[in-house]
Amino acid sequence: MTKKVKANILSTSISLVATIIILFVFLYLVGKDPFEVMQKMLTEVFGTGYGIGQAIFKATPLIICGCGLAFCFQASLFNIGAEGQLNLGVFVMSIVAYMFDDYLGIFILPIAVAIGFAVSAFWGFIPAYIKIKRGVSEVITTIMMNFISLALINYFLIEFLAVKSTVRTEKILDVINIPKLSVFSDYFEGSSANLTFFFAIALAAATYFIFYKTSFGYKLRAVGLNPKASRYLGINTNKMTIIAFMIGAGITSLVGLNFVFGYKGYYEYGFSNNLGFTAIAVTLLAKNNPIGIIFTALLFGIMDYGGLSVNTLVPKEIMLVFQALVILSILSFDRIIKIYYLKEK
Amino acid sequence: MNTSPIIEFKNISKKFGDFFANEEITFSILPNTVHSLIGENGAGKTTLMKILFGIYKQDSGHIYINGNPVSFKNPLDAIMNNIGMVHQHFELIDDFTALENIVLGDEESDYGFLNLNKSRKVLIDIIAKYNLGINLDEKVCNISISEKQKIELLKLLYRKSEILIFDEPTAVLSPIEVEEFFKIIRKFKEEGKTILLITHKLNEIKELSDSVTVLRKGKVVYEVGSDALDISVLSREIVGELETVIDLNIRGDVKSEEPYIELNNIVYKHEKASALNGVNLSVYGGQIYSICGVEGNGQSEIVDLIAGITRKSSGSIQMKYDGISLVPDDRLEKGMVKEFNTGENVLLRNNKSKYISSSKIYDTAKAVVDKYDVRLPALNAPLESLSGGNQQKVIFGREIELDNNIMVFVHPTRGVDINATAYIHKIILEQRNKGKAVLLVTSDLDEALKLSDKIGIIYKGLIGKEFTRNEFDESTDKRNRVLQNIGKAMIGVNSD
Amino acid sequence: MLESIITYSFFMQVFRMFTPYYLGASAATFSERSGVVNIAIEGFMIISAFSYAAITIATQNPYLGLIGGLIIGILFSLFFSLFTIKLKINQIVIGVGFNLLMAGLAKFLMLLFFHSSSNTPGYPHIPRLPFLKSIPMIGDLTGDSIIIFALLLVFISQTVLFKTRFGLRLRSVGENPEAAETLGIKVRLYKSGGVIICGLLASLGGIWLASNQGSFSDGMVAGRGYIAIAAMIIGKWKPMNIFFACLMFAFFESLEIALQISGSGIPSQFVQMLPYLITILVLIGFVGKTKPPAADGIPY
Repeated sequence: MTKKVKANILSTSISLVATIIILFVFLYLVGKDPFEVMQKMLTEVFGTGYGIGQAIFKATPLIICGCGLAFCFQASLFNIGAEGQLNLGVFVMSIVAYMFDDYLGIFILPIAVAIGFAVSAFWGFIPAYIKIKRGVSEVITTIMMNFISLALINYFLIEFLAVKSTVRTEKILDVINIPKLSVFSDYFEGSSANLTFFFAIALAAATYFIFYKTSFGYKLRAVGLNPKASRYLGINTNKMTIIAFMIGAGITSLVGLNFVFGYKGYYEYGFSNNLGFTAIAVTLLAKNNPIGIIFTALLFGIMDYGGLSVNTLVPKEIMLVFQALVILSILSFDRIIKIYYLKEK
Repeated sequence: MNTSPIIEFKNISKKFGDFFANEEITFSILPNTVHSLIGENGAGKTTLMKILFGIYKQDSGHIYINGNPVSFKNPLDAIMNNIGMVHQHFELIDDFTALENIVLGDEESDYGFLNLNKSRKVLIDIIAKYNLGINLDEKVCNISISEKQKIELLKLLYRKSEILIFDEPTAVLSPIEVEEFFKIIRKFKEEGKTILLITHKLNEIKELSDSVTVLRKGKVVYEVGSDALDISVLSREIVGELETVIDLNIRGDVKSEEPYIELNNIVYKHEKASALNGVNLSVYGGQIYSICGVEGNGQSEIVDLIAGITRKSSGSIQMKYDGISLVPDDRLEKGMVKEFNTGENVLLRNNKSKYISSSKIYDTAKAVVDKYDVRLPALNAPLESLSGGNQQKVIFGREIELDNNIMVFVHPTRGVDINATAYIHKIILEQRNKGKAVLLVTSDLDEALKLSDKIGIIYKGLIGKEFTRNEFDESTDKRNRVLQNIGKAMIGVNSD
Repeated sequence: MLESIITYSFFMQVFRMFTPYYLGASAATFSERSGVVNIAIEGFMIISAFSYAAITIATQNPYLGLIGGLIIGILFSLFFSLFTIKLKINQIVIGVGFNLLMAGLAKFLMLLFFHSSSNTPGYPHIPRLPFLKSIPMIGDLTGDSIIIFALLLVFISQTVLFKTRFGLRLRSVGENPEAAETLGIKVRLYKSGGVIICGLLASLGGIWLASNQGSFSDGMVAGRGYIAIAAMIIGKWKPMNIFFACLMFAFFESLEIALQISGSGIPSQFVQMLPYLITILVLIGFVGKTKPPAADGIPY
C-alpha cells in the first residue's frame, strides 16, 4: 500500500469519526440523546431490507450525477450547475415519455432518455462555450443558469404541462417502468430501489475505465491538471472543455431513470431536492474517482434515509448538517494529513 | 576601516524533502563591499538569500548581523534590520501605480488615510539623486522591464536599506541597461551600503565584486577576494568535474533543398500591442537555426505560432511536414503534467491506440528511461519527484522519439546541470546530422555559437541580422568583430 | 399599464430591495479584493437571518437579535478563513460546503425550536430611527438604519478600499500576495480581515431581510446571495459600479413583485430570471471585459 493510499484512508476515517463526535456534541447541546438517535438510525437502516433498499434508492441518483460531475471536475471544470442541468433534462425526458408512450410503448424509454440527455448536454454546452470563447468562469455561469433553468421549467410546467393544481407532469404508462428490486427479492419489499442502481454501478465502472484506461481519459485529466501544457502537448483543450461539460451535464439527466421511470412515473417540480449540490459533495469526497463515488454516494444515501428514520426523535434536517460537516471535515483532514503526514507544501 | 563582518552565515542547512538546497554553509561578508554569490542554477544561491531575507527558515545554523545573532521570521523582520532584496522575478503588483508599489508596507498615512503626496516628495528627491527617472503614476502593467527594475530599486532606497540583495539583476537587461545598473551599484557602494549580488555571469563578478563565494550543490566550494580573482579557476569551481566531453564539430553537410519551416512577413498583435512586426525566417532540413536575443522580443510568439498555440495576424507560415517536436521553455508549465508519471507523460503525446494499460505505461517509461539515461526514484514516480535535468531528459526523449522532421527547442538547457547540458547538446546535433530542421531559441549566446548553422538576432519583434556559421566559427579571424555585431544587434544598435 | 406599476411605492420598494443586494455585494467585494472567493454569501445571509429571528423571539429585543446575528456571522467567517486561508483548501469547494452547512443548520434549528418546516413565529423589527422616520415621503427609507447604512456603504467602501492604508494592503494581497509579503505585509492577516468584513456585511444583509419580513421562513433569502456576487462581477469589483448593478437587480425584483400583484399578462418567471440572464450577458461581454483581482481564488 502506498503512502498516498494510506493517507487517503486515514483522512477519510479520521474525518468520519470527527464528524460523528461533533454531531454528538451538537445533539447533546440541543438537548437530544445522541446515542438513542444513532441506535435508532442504525437499526432502521440496516435492520430491514426496506431500510437498505431506501438507502440504495437515495444513493442511486447520487452515483449517476456524481459520475457526470466527475467528468467536469477531472477536467477542472467546476460545474455547479448540475441541479439545473438534470432538472431540465429530466423534465423534457418525462414530457417526451408521456406524450408518446401510447404509440411507442416501451421503446419510448431509450428515445426519451436520449432526448433528455441531449437537453442536459446542451445546457452544459452553454457555459463551456462561454468559457472558451470569453474566458468567463463556469462557476458563475452555471450558478446563474441553475436559476434560469428552474424558472423556465416552472413557467412551462405551471402554464402548460402540469396536472391541474399540482406541480407535476402527467403519469407515464406503467409498462414503461423500470422494475423495482422487490420484484426480484421480497427482502426489499416496499422500498423504491430499482434496477437503476445496477445501471449506476455499471456507469461508474465505465466512467472509471474511461478516466484511467483510455487515451481520452488521460487527455481529459491532463487538461484538468495542466491546461497550458496540454495545449503544448497537442491536445485541443477547447474541444475537451466542450466534450467534458456536455457528457458530464448529459449524464446528470440519467437520474430521471431512477425517479421518473423507476419510481413516480412523472416529473415533479423540486423532485431533485438539491441533488445537484449534494452530488458535488459526493464527488469531491471521492476525489473524482468513480469507484469512490459509489461508496460516498451510499454513505450519503444511508444518511439521507437515516435522517428520515429518526425524524420522530430529531428533525431529519440533522442529516443536512451531518453531510455538510462530513464535507468540511474530510476537506480539512485531507489537507492536514497532506501537510503533516505526506509533508507536502 | 571596519573589518568585522556585517553578515555571517554559520553552518546554514536547508532541506526541501530529501534534497539539500543548502548544506552547512559558512561564510561572511564585510561591510561596504560588493559580495558576489555565484553558482549554477540550483546551486542554492537564491535559497540562501531567501533565508537571509526571512522568506525561508533554515533547518539549522545561524545568521549574525553585525555580530548579533538574528532569526527573521518574515521579510518584515529583515526590512526592519535594513535589509532589502530585489527578486529575480520582480515582486510588483500590476494593477497598482509605481508609487503605490513603492510605498506599500511603509505608507505615509494620517489616521489610516493614505498620504501619497508625502511619500511622493521623498521619492522625487531619491529619483533625482540616483537618476532613476520613472513616472510614479503609471500602472506597473504598462511599463518596461528596465523601469520595473527601477521601481524595485526605489523600494529599497525608500526604506533606507543598507544591505542590498540582488538576485540575478541583469538577466533581463540589455547590455546598455546593464551598464547603467552597474553605475548605480557603484554609487551605492560609495555611500557605504553593502551589496550582495547573485549571478552566474563571470564578467559581472570581474567588474563589480570585492569578494566572491562559489556555491555548488548547496555547499560553499570556493572563496576568493578580487585581488586573487582568476576567471578560469572560478569557472572550473562553478561547474565541478565534467563527466563527458563531447565534440560538437562533427557536422555533415545534410542541408535540404527546400526550407522545412518558412515564415513570411509574419505580424502578430496581442491586446493591441504588436509582438511580431514582419518576421521572415527559413529553416532547412539538416540545419540548426538559432533565434537569439534579449528575452521578450518576440521569441515565444514565434514558437507559439509555429506550434499552433496562437494564430498570426497576417503573413504566411509554411511547414513542409505535419507535426513538430517541441521542447518548450518552461518545463513545469508547458512541457508536462507533473502529477503524471514518465510513461503517462510520453503516452499523452505519442499514443497510437485508444487505450492505455498499466503494462504499456511501464514499457513506454522503461524505453525512454533506458535510452535517455533518466535517473528517477521509481519507474512509476510522478514527474514532479524528478530533478529538473531528468524531467528535461524525459521531455527530450519524448519529443525526439516522435521523430518529426521539424524540431523546436526553446531554452533547452535552462536550469539544467552542466552534464545534462552536454548530453542535450549532443542530442540536438545528432538530430541535425540526421537531416531534421532544428529551430533553437536561446538567450545563451554561447549555446547558439556552439550549435548553430545560422543565427538570427531578434529585436522588437523583427529578425534583423542573420549570421552564418562561417562568420562566427572559432576558426575564423573575424570572429571577434562578428560577436560584437551580434551583441549590438541584440540591443537594436546598427553595426558597422 | 406601466404607469400603474412605476409608482411612488415602487421606487420605495426598489431601494428596500437594493439593501440586501448591496450589503451582500460589498461583502463579496471585500473578500475578493483580498483574494478570497466567497460563494457562501447566501449561507451567511440565511444563518444570520435565522439567528436574528431566533434571538429576537427569545429575548423580544431586536437589538440583541442584531448583535447576535452579527456575532454568528463573524464566527462563521472565522471558520471560513481557517479553512480557506490557514488550511488553503479550494475556496469554491469550501463555499459550497458552507452554504450546505448554514442552510442545513437554519432548517434543522427552525424545526427543533419552532416545530415548523416553513416559518418561525413573528417578532419585532429593528426600531425605526427617530426624526428620520418622520421625514415626509421618504421616511420609510430614512427611518431604516440598515438602509441608510447600505447607502452610506457605497462611499465608505470606496474610501476604505482606495484611500486608506488598510485598503491598499488589502488589495495588494488580492493582487499579488508574494509581492506584498516581500514588503513585510502579513498576507494572511489581511486576507482574514477581508473575509471577516465579508461575513459581517453579508450577515447584516440577512438580518435586514429577517427584520423586514417579520418572520423567518425557509427559502426567504431566495438566491440573493448569488445575485449579490453577480452584482459584484458586473460592477467590476468597484463600489460605485456595484451600486448601479444592485439598483438594477432591485428594480427587476420589484418589477417582478409588481407584475405578480397587478396580474398583467407577463409571466413573472421571465422577470425572475432576468437578473441571471443579464449577468450572463454582461459576462459574455456586452458591457466590456470584467477582470477580477489577479490572485482571486488562489490560496496563499
